[in-house]
Amino acid sequence: MLKLLTGLFKTGDATVKYPFAPYPVSPGFRGKPEFAPKRCIACAACTIACPANALTMSTDHHAGKRTWKLNYGRCIFCARCEEVCPTGAIVLSGDFELAVFNKADLMVTAEFTLTNCQSCERPFAPAKEVNYVIELLTRAGMPESETERQRVMLETCPECKRRAEVSRVTQASRHRRPEITP
Amino acid sequence: MIQLDTSHGTNLVPAPGAISESEQIAKLKQTLLKDIRRSAYVFRVDCGGCNGCEIEIFAAISPLFDAERFGIKLVSSPRHADVLLYTGAMTRAMRQPAIRAYNAAPDPKIVISYGACGCTGGIFHDLYCVWGGTDPVIPVDLYIPGCPPTPAATIYAFALALGLLDQKLKARHHVEGEDENVVPIHPQIPLNLRVELEREARRMAGYRHGRIIADRFMHLLGAEEPTPFAERVQHYLDREDDPRLAEIFGKLTDIVLKR
Repeated sequence: MLKLLTGLFKTGDATVKYPFAPYPVSPGFRGKPEFAPKRCIACAACTIACPANALTMSTDHHAGKRTWKLNYGRCIFCARCEEVCPTGAIVLSGDFELAVFNKADLMVTAEFTLTNCQSCERPFAPAKEVNYVIELLTRAGMPESETERQRVMLETCPECKRRAEVSRVTQASRHRRPEITP
Repeated sequence: MIQLDTSHGTNLVPAPGAISESEQIAKLKQTLLKDIRRSAYVFRVDCGGCNGCEIEIFAAISPLFDAERFGIKLVSSPRHADVLLYTGAMTRAMRQPAIRAYNAAPDPKIVISYGACGCTGGIFHDLYCVWGGTDPVIPVDLYIPGCPPTPAATIYAFALALGLLDQKLKARHHVEGEDENVVPIHPQIPLNLRVELEREARRMAGYRHGRIIADRFMHLLGAEEPTPFAERVQHYLDREDDPRLAEIFGKLTDIVLKR
């Protein structure tokens, strides 16, 4: 009996103190995805990677806005978004206290401005993404003189690029002299 | 009572026989939620889940987490229940039994949607045979996201329902500000080297951990400190005491030295 009691005393209380004391999670725990909208470039890599479609993006071409949405209710905490994010804007934290009374509280949204195409003046890509690419190119060793030329190219939508390329090729073939065969 | 309202769910089709509750019951429920002065009996309804949520519910009533210290007890009949815990994405076949369980429980009752599937349909939200969560069929009072929610998250939700804790999560909306530009991570390291390091670390340690390890390595590499890089790495590895990490860091150091 005494042995049992001393054994019990030594073992102590196995039950965790939570919710009256904080509950420490183990390292590598995948909890609530923390989104830092200031670091996001709206490149949509996470929305493509998300297997549960908890991350979605929609583009409003008229307003020139792109809206990023995260639904914690649908998230399966797989960390695929964290893996693919080029800027580290989304990181899974150790926070597990996600229960809500109102479903709307499960949503995180962010709105990004689209930049206009330099030739057709229609919005096509997030301004932050274009700036990020230029920043990367500059750091990778692109000379200062090239920056403006690159900016013109990066701020042109694929449609206009294609059109410009076609007209360039047709112009060139028109001015080319007929080939003389021996 | 049939409610043809799809505003709460993402479903295009409302579930047949979807229930809405009367005002009187809603009021009774508020008092039950706020001021429950007895044990809360929980009945668990599996509406097509993968059983992960069930395992976590039973982990939550195990001695380690011990939900019974709050008087939370699992019962085996909805007729004894105050709280109905719905798990799973609500398959077509489980809609009718779910409604029967709801009707069998005495009023006022609290309905909890458990897990990602219960909240919104989760990863199965666009399957042909699911209604996409509990709320297209039954009015829900509390949502517990997670896939599955950990026992601690379950305890938190019960504490929330019993008024012991406050809700932490709030809807957030961010609008891009002026001149909000992003600086690349580890700007002092050349892009090509960064790509090579990340690739190697991911090859060695798997995708997520590889990225974390590469991040730590580049943090050490890019830091401007008087101690030499090799010494900093050694100090870090000594502290972590993990041979696997030492191996990966060795490979990454080789890549840096080669350039």
